[in-house]
Amino acid sequence: MSQFNFPFEEETKDLKDLRLKVRNFIKKTFKEDKITPSPDAWVFSTNPSFSKKLGDQGWLGMSFPKKYGGHQKSMLERYIVTEELLVSGAPVAAHWIADRQSGSQIIRYGTEDQKKNIIPKITSGECFFAIGMSEPDSGSDLASVKTFAKKTTNGWKLNGRKIWSTGAHLAHYMIVLARTTKQVDNNRHSGLSQFLVDLRLPGIEINGIEDMTGQKHFNETVFDDVVLDKDSLLGSEGKGWEQVVGELALERSGPERFLSHFVLLDNFLNEFKSKMSEFSTLSLGKIIAELQSLRIMSFSIASMIEKKHSPEIQAAFVKEAGNNFEKKLIEIIREMSNLIPIQTWSPSLKSLFEDATLKIPSNSLRGGTSEIMRGIIAKKLGLR
Amino acid sequence: MKEEIQFILDVSERIFAKNIDHKIRLDPEKNHDTLIKEIRESHLTKIAVKEKLGGAGMNLVDIIPLIKLSAFYGVPIPFVETIICNYFFSVFDTKPTDDFISICYEESGVIIKDNKVSGLLKSIPYLNFTNKVMAKVRYNDDDYLIFFENKNSYLKQIHNFLAEPRYDLEVKNENILFKEKFPKEINFLNILANLKSIQATGAMEKVLQLCIDYCSNRKQFGRALSKFQMIQNHISEISLEIAASGASISVLESSNNIETNRDENFSNDIKTAIAKIRTGMASGKVIALSHQVHGAMGFTKEYDLSYFTKNLNSWRNDFGTEIQWQNSLGNYFLKQNKNLWEFLNH
Ligand SMILES: Cc1cc2nc3c(=O)[nH]c(=O)nc-3n(C[C@H](O)[C@H](O)[C@H](O)COP(=O)(O)OP(=O)(O)OC[C@H]3O[C@@H](n4cnc5c(N)ncnc54)[C@H](O)[C@@H]3O)c2cc1C
Repeated sequence: MSQFNFPFEEETKDLKDLRLKVRNFIKKTFKEDKITPSPDAWVFSTNPSFSKKLGDQGWLGMSFPKKYGGHQKSMLERYIVTEELLVSGAPVAAHWIADRQSGSQIIRYGTEDQKKNIIPKITSGECFFAIGMSEPDSGSDLASVKTFAKKTTNGWKLNGRKIWSTGAHLAHYMIVLARTTKQVDNNRHSGLSQFLVDLRLPGIEINGIEDMTGQKHFNETVFDDVVLDKDSLLGSEGKGWEQVVGELALERSGPERFLSHFVLLDNFLNEFKSKMSEFSTLSLGKIIAELQSLRIMSFSIASMIEKKHSPEIQAAFVKEAGNNFEKKLIEIIREMSNLIPIQTWSPSLKSLFEDATLKIPSNSLRGGTSEIMRGIIAKKLGLR
Repeated sequence: MKEEIQFILDVSERIFAKNIDHKIRLDPEKNHDTLIKEIRESHLTKIAVKEKLGGAGMNLVDIIPLIKLSAFYGVPIPFVETIICNYFFSVFDTKPTDDFISICYEESGVIIKDNKVSGLLKSIPYLNFTNKVMAKVRYNDDDYLIFFENKNSYLKQIHNFLAEPRYDLEVKNENILFKEKFPKEINFLNILANLKSIQATGAMEKVLQLCIDYCSNRKQFGRALSKFQMIQNHISEISLEIAASGASISVLESSNNIETNRDENFSNDIKTAIAKIRTGMASGKVIALSHQVHGAMGFTKEYDLSYFTKNLNSWRNDFGTEIQWQNSLGNYFLKQNKNLWEFLNH
């Protein structure tokens, strides 16, 4: 049963060196730019100048072809860089989506012009993306989207509304999943297409939505008779569903699904390593074992993607197991503090903890809910 | 090695599939003749023996997929135990036997005198099947690996709720057929703990297959059980646990070896701990959920499931439960002067 094999190679010396290089860069830049780590930084912590610096280092669009400004590095090298950024709580939200999925989607399906115009700006850390999938009436049931792109003589006219679009207020582009023909009952997945939409076009309104932590990181994006030229279609007309499924595998399988709150754990241990009870040591052993297993899964998927496999079930494994792990992590940190009352923690640790506690419910919603992940797994196992 | 192990897996799978069914598992003493004959003829138990001694020359890392496969098929004889014993013969350039051998890790009060051994050897699997035993024993402040044939010692079956029969053996003056000082650089406990983690992963994959088959065929309320979202959820959860366990085994598979003793970074000990913890945690969930989706049928001896869940129950307790390994792993970290991320990327 091959879906449970996660072929894995020990990190080579080159990869280890890369790790250290990234780590040192982050340390130095944090100091120079007075950046403090934050949990869930890939969604919440935006800093375009930091993104630009990563671009200058050659750490964005790493796997993209050189002729579009990429660096033709392996997915494993990219994996190392993303891990180091996540565990340090670096402010990577601005470019995260562009680097993780939108750029790859353009490389895979885009026209030569699209690639030439956009990819170099992604790799330099100057072009940010938002994901235009969810709508007010289409959440888990993504294929039911109603946003419609009507063919015109010169291109398309887009109408509809997207919601929960993370970072759309800062993004230059959104990849919008829209219907291009009316839904036929017997095939819900046909008639969908993806569009590369420049968010500065007339007819687009972006309204921030305050989340429960009080931040406005996601938005409602309204499209009112937005005129798109022919070249806005990404990939093939009517193939939007197949394309979006591949994009979701990139979105779900990365280490952000289990390293979003590592900063909290790390800070907790730095402060209290010497005060761990026997009971806490047991919990710690468990966390380490779970975390390392997740890292192997995700690292292995990166090499599957490199080899052009489509690891759909494996991506769902990482997303679901990773999200469960993070929820448990917060609880375990509470348990490990059995001898160290929360009231006695340093203010910075306490604030990391409170922040993480508030943000944690979102992690098994964004990118597809737990229930949907389990549904995908069941389907791939032949149960549905 | 990749091609060779694939060939060996194909041969093994043919032998296991043809000769093992649930009846044979339940009554191995009566029905194992052709299974043994075919395993012997294919020299599978000498897979980790040096070529010059008549083996296939593989190491313990190469054979991980075979160990997994044997647990998937529920091979009801000391097959992997014999592979490990023969590996040890080979370490000492000794020609392995053609017999099946069981293996012992836990002992107390062992005395070695005039090339005879006495003392209590504990929890040895399959002594109903073979009377040959390899054991690591401690005597006069030294560790020895000994091999003997049980002729007149007292056998007591213990833990008979487990699928693998286990015995305590009160050894009285048995002739030692092989004795060497145990090599300091080899970690016996880690080898055996790894074996159980690998076997558990194979058995869990079998349990998943049984769940899928059962739920696809059994109907209630006019529908196959597999159409109910709650049941799908249980089975998804089983597969998540197996995936995470598989990943912890991948680390062993990517190692140069899984037998050497601790280095300054505890790197092999950490891998062993992670695999034992992750597969132990997974086993607990997989046992509970797989029985849930099987209803009363899974609770019968007649039906396959219980053989595998009993094995899982047994293996997660062998050579340190996940709790004990959590303690070790937690302490490996606490004792090193590194932050967690450095520790995880040693
Ligand atoms: C922080 C955050 C950031 C996000 N960013 C983006 C973004 O950038 N772009 C974007 O497009 N979207 C984004 N989303 C939206 C996200 O993808 C959706 O929230 C998600 O797909 C679920 O949709 P929903 O919220 O409408 O919930 P619903 O689909 O209404 O689900 C509500 C509950 O019902 C369950 N449910 C639904 N269908 C089933 C079923 N068939 N079987 C069993 N249970 C079911 C769900 O699992 C959930 O528990 C973001 C969400 C969050 C929280």
